[in-house]
Amino acid sequence: MADKILKKAGLGALIESVTGKGGRFVAPTTDSRQVVFKKVKSAEEVATDYILARNSFKEFLFPQTEVVAEFTMSKDSVDMKGVEVYAPQTVVFGARPCEAASLAGMRALFTWDFIDEFYTKREENTVVVTVACTKGDDACFCTTVNLSPESTEGTDVYLREAADSYIVQAVTEKGKKFVETHAAVFSEGNAKAEPLFMPEKIANIDIAKVSARLKDKTHYDDKVWARLTSKCIGCGACTFVCPTCRCFDIVDEGTAFEGERRKNWDSCQYDTFTLHASGHNPREHQHQRWRNRFMCKFHFYPEKFSSKGCVGCGRCIRVCPVRLDITEVMEEFSK
Amino acid sequence: MNNIYLPNLVTIEDIYEEAPDVRSFRLVFKDPKLRDTFEFKTGQFGLYSAFGLGESTFCIASSPTRKGYIQCTFRKSGRVTGGLAQLSIGDTMGFRGPYGNHFPVDEWKGKNIVFIAGGIGLPPVRSVIWNVLDRREDFGNITIVYGAKTVADLVYKEELKHWEERGDVNLVQAVDPGGQTPDWKGSVGFVPTVLKEAAPKAENSVAVTCGPPIMIKFVLNTLLELGFEEGSVYTTLENRMKCGVGKCGRCNVGDVYVCKEGPVYTAAEIKRMYNDF
Ligand SMILES: Cc1cc2nc3c(=O)[nH]c(=O)nc-3n(C[C@H](O)[C@H](O)[C@H](O)COP(=O)(O)OP(=O)(O)OC[C@H]3O[C@@H](n4cnc5c(N)ncnc54)[C@H](O)[C@@H]3O)c2cc1C
Ligand code: SF4
Ligand code: SF4
Ligand code: FES
Repeated sequence: MADKILKKAGLGALIESVTGKGGRFVAPTTDSRQVVFKKVKSAEEVATDYILARNSFKEFLFPQTEVVAEFTMSKDSVDMKGVEVYAPQTVVFGARPCEAASLAGMRALFTWDFIDEFYTKREENTVVVTVACTKGDDACFCTTVNLSPESTEGTDVYLREAADSYIVQAVTEKGKKFVETHAAVFSEGNAKAEPLFMPEKIANIDIAKVSARLKDKTHYDDKVWARLTSKCIGCGACTFVCPTCRCFDIVDEGTAFEGERRKNWDSCQYDTFTLHASGHNPREHQHQRWRNRFMCKFHFYPEKFSSKGCVGCGRCIRVCPVRLDITEVMEEFSK
Repeated sequence: MNNIYLPNLVTIEDIYEEAPDVRSFRLVFKDPKLRDTFEFKTGQFGLYSAFGLGESTFCIASSPTRKGYIQCTFRKSGRVTGGLAQLSIGDTMGFRGPYGNHFPVDEWKGKNIVFIAGGIGLPPVRSVIWNVLDRREDFGNITIVYGAKTVADLVYKEELKHWEERGDVNLVQAVDPGGQTPDWKGSVGFVPTVLKEAAPKAENSVAVTCGPPIMIKFVLNTLLELGFEEGSVYTTLENRMKCGVGKCGRCNVGDVYVCKEGPVYTAAEIKRMYNDF
């Protein structure tokens, strides 16, 4: 049987087909010598030689800053109204299988009883087109968290690279519809997929054990936290690049007469994050804040939502200024 | 669209000065429909906005038995509360809620109830007190142990007087050593100590406590010493919150999200939680 093929030379036509219908096309692109996910208009902008974009594509579903309501004030009245969600049809092209797998947890969180439509509407209008990895680096550890370049969790359309084309597999209904909608740019044919890059599973890590250890409360005051994570300087970089981190702040911006309420990215690594007005802080030390981040990934998400809190993309390892490697902590908790 | 971050507008109908930097607002919804239909349960909280400054979390300090308005009591402690403190009667602010779980008052029928509060921890307890007093015949003995740093810091002074005067409530008021005035007739001492002296009987009783985290920890111990069962001691946690709806990641104690699964917990539940509040 012939495969569905997207010619690499046809990427421009796909971008035009998407943007021509008013959609946004998000892809890895080189900006200041770094590959990052950005909105692109042409195929020339799309990076082809990259391991993983430096940022995660979450910012197109959960923006760094977003207006949720607007208000105007005069001497004797205040008017407040919500804003419509900006949720254009979006294609995220060139996601990796690891980060695509973050969507289940994000969705569970944003729909947990209260539905955050700022997230859900955007996610519903987004098609994730994943390109399976043909290269990787030492920070990649998807296989250690039971994912791999072959996993299609969270992916709508899964692409395997071949010499001058991609082999296309529509995974979800949304993915099938996407392929139908842009049928003109796809063709039938045969291509030979390039070999995948399979990161070696880290031998000393057993994530089932990690989660089990975290469930047992006795670890909480263990000195191991301070020993392994006190070097963290609390910059928060790991949380901003992480595809599953989603802490935010709610703030007002404006003048005395008009303004807006915003949802802004925040980080559990900041020392004021949980500080009470009284001065009391339940997570006073950096290692307690780090413990929270680790527990969120390996206890909270799996326990509450049966979903992955860490997809092994390695971004936090690459970006950390003090080389705090999450896999070292995973190893410790696999003992 | 259903926007979970959009507050309702409320008008400040009345303001009460409770203590230095502590005041209460009596609030009514601007939307008349909501005014009639709004319901909450005792122990639930809300997010109150000062437009242009942001939102703050306070409990609903009034009782659900009193309809048509809600009351909040807050201490001026930062940006938002500072802004709220500048508002006057007739001004508009924002409210979203009610959020969180509640005190299971209905399960306490026929029981004695002991309230123990410290400082600005009285507002959430006040909601339960009035809820219980408004159905006084449903409950046994009612004891209130309330302490603050100084006499001036005691909140709800009018209501304390009322509770003292009505014959069906045993009120013990206290101030920290050094906080008393020459004509102070109440106790002098920290809340856990005063509670120990008051020694309410544990049999067929539930206890409700709120105050600074350190006070709560000691009060819980004292109650257990007095023979209270962990499952009959309730408290409400005040972890910092922003969203109130389980999204922003701020209020959790381990995997327990206080805004959704709390803020009301029994001592037994607290014991099972991570030591992180
Ligand atoms: C369920 C619940 C119920 C509550 N009920 C009540 C109640 O009934 N009454 C009440 O008074 N309070 C209550 N609180 C506490 C109340 O939410 C906070 O006291 C209040 O929101 C803080 O005031 P603010 O918003 O003005 O402070 P903000 O302006 O937001 O400032 C306070 C926060 O800013 C930071 N901050 C401020 N100053 C500094 C500084 N100098 N250095 C570093 N960081 C700083 C701290 O993180 C601090 O927590 C409740 C809290 C919860 C969770
Ligand atoms: S914790 Fe690190 S490796 Fe895991 S998903 Fe987040 S950024 Fe990737
Ligand atoms: S990137 Fe490194 S130093 Fe910065 S908060 Fe994360 S672990 Fe700490
Ligand atoms: S207050 Fe935001 S998650 Fe609880």
